[in-house]
Amino acid sequence: METSKTAILVSSLCKTYEVGDTKVEVLTDVNLDVKTGEFVVISGASGSGKTTLLNLISSIDKPTSGKIEIFDNDLSDKNEDFLAGFRCLNVGFVFQSYNLFSTLTVAENVAFPMEWVQHPDAQITKKVEELLELVGLQHRADHFPSQLSGGEQQRVAFARALANDPPLLLVDEPTGNLDAKTSAKIIQILRGLKDEGKTIITATHDEQIFTLADQKFCLENGKLENLE
Amino acid sequence: MSKTFFPSRDLMRRKFQTGIVVVSITLCVAATLFLLLFSSEIGIGISFGVEGRLSAGLSTVFSSFLILIEILLFIIGAVIVSFVSFLMMSQRTKDIGLMKAAGCSNERILYYFRTELLMVTFLGCFLGVIFGVLADFVLINFFSMLGVQMQRVSVNLLFVFLIFIAFFFMGIIFGGKPIYDVIKVEPAKAVSPTYYHGLNKGPSFKPISKSRFTMRIALRSLYRHKSATIRIIACLALVFVLVTVAVAGGVIAEQTSENWIERAVGSNEVLIANQEVCNQYELLLSKFYTANQSSGLNYTQGSYLIPKDLLSQLNQSISGISIDPRLITETNITEVPGITYNENTGNYTYTGSNREGEALIIGVEPGQVSTDWFTDGEFLQVGQHWEAVIGDSIAQEMFSEPLNESLIVSNGPRSWEFGIVGVCTDPINNGKVIYVPLEDLQDATYVPLINNATNELGINMILVKIDTSANYKETLNQIRALVDKTYPQFGVLELNGLLDKSVGFLNQIWSTIMFLPAFSLAAASICLIGYVMLSINEQRQEFGILRAIGAKPRTIIRIVSEQSFIVLLSCYAIGIIGGVSLTWLVLVPNPLITGLGMAEITGWLLIALAATFVFALYPAIRFSKKSILEMMT
Repeated sequence: METSKTAILVSSLCKTYEVGDTKVEVLTDVNLDVKTGEFVVISGASGSGKTTLLNLISSIDKPTSGKIEIFDNDLSDKNEDFLAGFRCLNVGFVFQSYNLFSTLTVAENVAFPMEWVQHPDAQITKKVEELLELVGLQHRADHFPSQLSGGEQQRVAFARALANDPPLLLVDEPTGNLDAKTSAKIIQILRGLKDEGKTIITATHDEQIFTLADQKFCLENGKLENLE
Repeated sequence: MSKTFFPSRDLMRRKFQTGIVVVSITLCVAATLFLLLFSSEIGIGISFGVEGRLSAGLSTVFSSFLILIEILLFIIGAVIVSFVSFLMMSQRTKDIGLMKAAGCSNERILYYFRTELLMVTFLGCFLGVIFGVLADFVLINFFSMLGVQMQRVSVNLLFVFLIFIAFFFMGIIFGGKPIYDVIKVEPAKAVSPTYYHGLNKGPSFKPISKSRFTMRIALRSLYRHKSATIRIIACLALVFVLVTVAVAGGVIAEQTSENWIERAVGSNEVLIANQEVCNQYELLLSKFYTANQSSGLNYTQGSYLIPKDLLSQLNQSISGISIDPRLITETNITEVPGITYNENTGNYTYTGSNREGEALIIGVEPGQVSTDWFTDGEFLQVGQHWEAVIGDSIAQEMFSEPLNESLIVSNGPRSWEFGIVGVCTDPINNGKVIYVPLEDLQDATYVPLINNATNELGINMILVKIDTSANYKETLNQIRALVDKTYPQFGVLELNGLLDKSVGFLNQIWSTIMFLPAFSLAAASICLIGYVMLSINEQRQEFGILRAIGAKPRTIIRIVSEQSFIVLLSCYAIGIIGGVSLTWLVLVPNPLITGLGMAEITGWLLIALAATFVFALYPAIRFSKKSILEMMT
């Protein structure tokens, strides 16, 4: 496993939101260097900017200033089409609120990122089965998200994030809403992905996830502090 | 918190969603009211413009066309306003569920959301009325400046108020339904997407396994939002019924009415008669398109009768023609009521009275007529006597059930009764004409079949039809030369020019009316934009998820456009079938469909399809430019 190569390089990152006349500075001069295959944990109080940082790294939001490089791609000057294609193949995002497609079944939710890159149908079906087996939801393939529990939806979100086998996985509060037993399953999945060599950044407060971390950070007052 | 505080604050804070609904209702009410006012003004304009012209049958086609369109416009407007209100409140079911879960009473929930519905519907309808009247005012003035036949009338405020009330209440009733429905269900159910999206479980539903991803998403979404999809298809199908009636009905009615005139006047027809009779005939035909008054003429005087020699020479020296001898005159007629015997009751029913009037009466040889009329009933048959076919205007003015009645022709102390066997559409004398067998008219007017002393025939005009196989100009010149040489007091009148003027007049009226399809198409596009905006709003979070996971902006445009296209095609199929059936069954009796007409209708409808589709893309394109986080939140 190669760990010396930089996967993510964040330099002097700032993000400010305007709420009416008020400016809220969420991130201030954030710097981060993540090597390929590393497991990074970011903690911080609610509203500290963890989700914003993950949104910026995944390129679904734009920074006010600063630079983000992922796998040697400077994302700050890229257009939407490039970013969409980049996300599709390189970034798996597990949202805190799962964000499953409510009108698609579990299997379809997992399949659709693969359909964009036009994998053959047979390959998609096989991969969906494998991913649902990985998260233990084969028996729920034909259900709608609204018919699943929170933990099950979280696992579907993991399966979907892994559909195109992305090298980078961003996971926002993976166990935040789950009970201990379900959390253990999620942590087991995360451990497996780390062992596979995926680069993972997760925003969490879960002490058990901290045990997997290669780097630990805390976001406070918009600044990222290394906890090592 | 004041009771009215929550609804107004809630609406204000949901500016985007509230705005879409208000704009949709406003556009719909404005488009409908404008079209209703505009079509009335076109109708009034035509009535004023054709006063003393046109025949009753054709006026009926115009007025039934406009009435049908107005009825459809009203229904469509009401359905769309109801649909938009329904959709708005359907999107609030989750909120209602949450309020119920938090312990809010049903009474309070009803109050909050009914108030929101009242505010939005009132505002939308009110703005719609203002914009509708303004659009009508601006466009009528604009078209009047361009010289289009229209009548500026003051706005009927009662009518506008009634439209406002009708649409407002339709919105309230249909918008209220989802509120009443959701307060009956358990909170857990109300907050579930399965309930508020109306999801139909259909994992086995595989649209077209080989179809593109975006098509699959579009089909799945439409299929799984089945109830909403059915509702929008029903709503837009009605809009397209209107477009089809307006386009296909307009084209078919135009071609059919033109055909009636062409058949009645005849093409390549030449009239030979005394010059004064020729002038009179021209005047009688031109009454269809100009407000001329014909002067009295003693049609049966000897100098107007056709010499036997002229007819013989025509027959002998000119080939490629067919001759239609006629006797034309004016006479007093009286309606004879019809009597119907009812076998069940044993009673006799009388229809009509004894109305009297003057009419142009033309005697024809049924076996030799060179023209052909659109006739309700039948035309005169060879060997049948004392039968009459009357023009559409005289039928409407003087008879109650013409085909069940007779008429009496009076001449001095004597009178003759003719049974009415048909009603024809004829432009001559604005349709105030009667056709009877020549021999019977000669009897009734005391004109002998042939006057042996003067060698004059008992006819005062000859219609000569030049065969299509003959050279028209050459044959016409031969006829002119023969008439000039033998009987210079007689003239030759070419009827093609008069036919062109009559058809041109009809065209002018139809081209004014055909503004309606254009505007109804605009209304359809506006409705579709409203639907697409609401549909996007409903799916915005899911589109945000798609984008976050890696979908390009054009993927979103493609999904929305494919959804719109599927909906559009379904609506078009229903709309075309419904519209054509209505045209066929209600609008035009014995419609004429020509290849050119079909091509014109197809062209219009394809333009309509393309235009509505392009308009519908606009909100999708705008939406796809939003940031992902904006879509998701």
